[in-house]
Amino acid sequence: MYDFQSGGDFERDLNLDELLKGIDKSRLISALNVLLDTTVGVVDDTGASVIGDNSSKTVDRVPLHGELEPVGFLQTRTAVPSERLSAAADLMQLILRCNARYLLASDIHLQTQRDDFEELQRRNVALQASEARYKKLSESLEIRVKEQVKTIEKAHLKLYRNEKQASVGRLAAGVAHEINNPLGFIRSNVATAASYLESFYEFNALIDNGASSKDLRKVWEERELSLLLDDFKDLMKESLEGLDRIAKIVIALKGFSRIDQTETERADIDTIVRQICQVAESQWQQKAKLVLELSSETPIQCQSAQLGQVVYGLLGNAVDAIETNGIIRIRTAVRNGAVVLEVQDNGRGIPETVLPHVFEPFFTTKEVGQGTGLGLTVCHDIVKEHGGSIDIVSQIGKGTRVTVNLPVHNAIQNPKES
Amino acid sequence: MAAILDVLFIGRFFPKVMAQYDESSQKLTIKLVYYGPALSGKTTNLMRLHDILTPDMKGELMIMETADDRTLFFDLLPLGFRAPSGLLIKFKVYTVPGQVIHDSTRKAVLSRSDGVVFVADSQRTQSVNNGESFENLAANAARVGLDFQQLPLVVQFNKRDLPAILSEQEIMARWEKAPWPVLFSSALTGEGIIETFKALLAAVYLTCDRLYRLQSDHGLDCDSFIAQTLGGSLSSAKG
Repeated sequence: MYDFQSGGDFERDLNLDELLKGIDKSRLISALNVLLDTTVGVVDDTGASVIGDNSSKTVDRVPLHGELEPVGFLQTRTAVPSERLSAAADLMQLILRCNARYLLASDIHLQTQRDDFEELQRRNVALQASEARYKKLSESLEIRVKEQVKTIEKAHLKLYRNEKQASVGRLAAGVAHEINNPLGFIRSNVATAASYLESFYEFNALIDNGASSKDLRKVWEERELSLLLDDFKDLMKESLEGLDRIAKIVIALKGFSRIDQTETERADIDTIVRQICQVAESQWQQKAKLVLELSSETPIQCQSAQLGQVVYGLLGNAVDAIETNGIIRIRTAVRNGAVVLEVQDNGRGIPETVLPHVFEPFFTTKEVGQGTGLGLTVCHDIVKEHGGSIDIVSQIGKGTRVTVNLPVHNAIQNPKES
Repeated sequence: MAAILDVLFIGRFFPKVMAQYDESSQKLTIKLVYYGPALSGKTTNLMRLHDILTPDMKGELMIMETADDRTLFFDLLPLGFRAPSGLLIKFKVYTVPGQVIHDSTRKAVLSRSDGVVFVADSQRTQSVNNGESFENLAANAARVGLDFQQLPLVVQFNKRDLPAILSEQEIMARWEKAPWPVLFSSALTGEGIIETFKALLAAVYLTCDRLYRLQSDHGLDCDSFIAQTLGGSLSSAKG
């Protein structure tokens, strides 16, 4: 049987059954019956009945040709003039031929469709394989990229931490200077005071030896012991002041060096600013005047050492921006529920093209080795951790103002107080 | 199971078997294909063959064309005769559609063919089309598993009756290194049509004889193979 679903090989020889596919056999046979005026039957090349009545004996028979060979026979029960019989066979062959054309066309159509589809599937499989290969490649690429990114992030983190440590180191250098100064004059004062003591020991020996009060008075005046005594008092007072200064620096430094602290405490920004200025004074001494206008006086829950680093960083930037005769103003205030810290300089300013990038990690305009490009990044991160914001306004040649806003009731709450 | 094995073995380990030999019905079916660029005269070749040939058995020419006379699927001319042994030698002569878009059909028709006539267009303007079509023939032969080097092939330069054609010398100069016979024809007038077909039959006979021992088993030598295919009167007239 002809398979219309899957089609056949268009080259195969079609049998009569296939050639009659789709043709109304009863109409065909009744037409033939009428035309030939007898009972007509059609058998295939093996003699099997295909259409009509082939049960009883037949008289006339004429072959039906397919492509080349007979595919069947037209037979009649009574005698029919041969020209009429062959005309009927011809008519039927025309019908079969038309059908053959259709069958061949549909066969080759189906075959090419199937071939094309198989080809598409093969290509699809090949494409999927290649896609899988690329996917695998891209996955391994992703992993490698991730590893690289991890390595870089690690390096960045290290540099970032180094930046925090380095600021402490830079500070330490300044602090050494700050401490050396009072240490110098305290030492000199104490040495002078010690030398004064000799005169008083000698005077004491005179008393022990029973010198008269007149003699004693004379020696007292000759040696100007009253002046020495006054000076001694001054020396001690000055030394104590120096020691106090050192003590303050040490306290400030202690606070500032605790940059790894995680717990928060209540501290006010004014104190932090004062402490930082105390230990960092040597940085601007030569080229700028520092003006403090501190009026926040509001303690906030914060990591004070971290905020100290912010102040120190901003102050350092301000000093760097100044060539000479500069004025650095640090203002604090409380505005709209936030502690505001402003560091303003009248230095060279930041170019417009640079400004959008100043908080980006590793962005620096300084010479290689001069800056890490992390200073403002660290400041920015610390302020963010405190739930605050940091903004920079700058004008070339006029100076720069950095404003830090820290909410009084910020995200960092001391667990003990909350 | 056996059929599956056949397909596997034939497809995989042997070159596509030439001709289809049906022992039970004593029939050898030989498939010949007229290949070539669009409008080079393949269908006209077949029409002339149908007109001229007079073998014992000649079917009607089946032409499957579009409304503008372009071959849609293929044309088919069935021919046949019986060898002295009683073996029916049946030819199915096909044309392929020449238009580039019908490549799948071309491939299907070319599949399992036993011999090919490449019909080229002699007009100077058609050289590129001829070349592309010939490359397409070689490529499709490879795709359907035909050994192009072993495939009986005849090249026919058609339309010799037209002006602005390549001269025979030019064509022969281009094809002299090729292993295939080159013939000239004018399908419209019928000139060279039989010569082309005879050249193909001679090449096809060699492979069929080798595979099916036409001479020894069926008493069919090359001359009578050709003569019987062409038909009695023609073979006696043209040798």
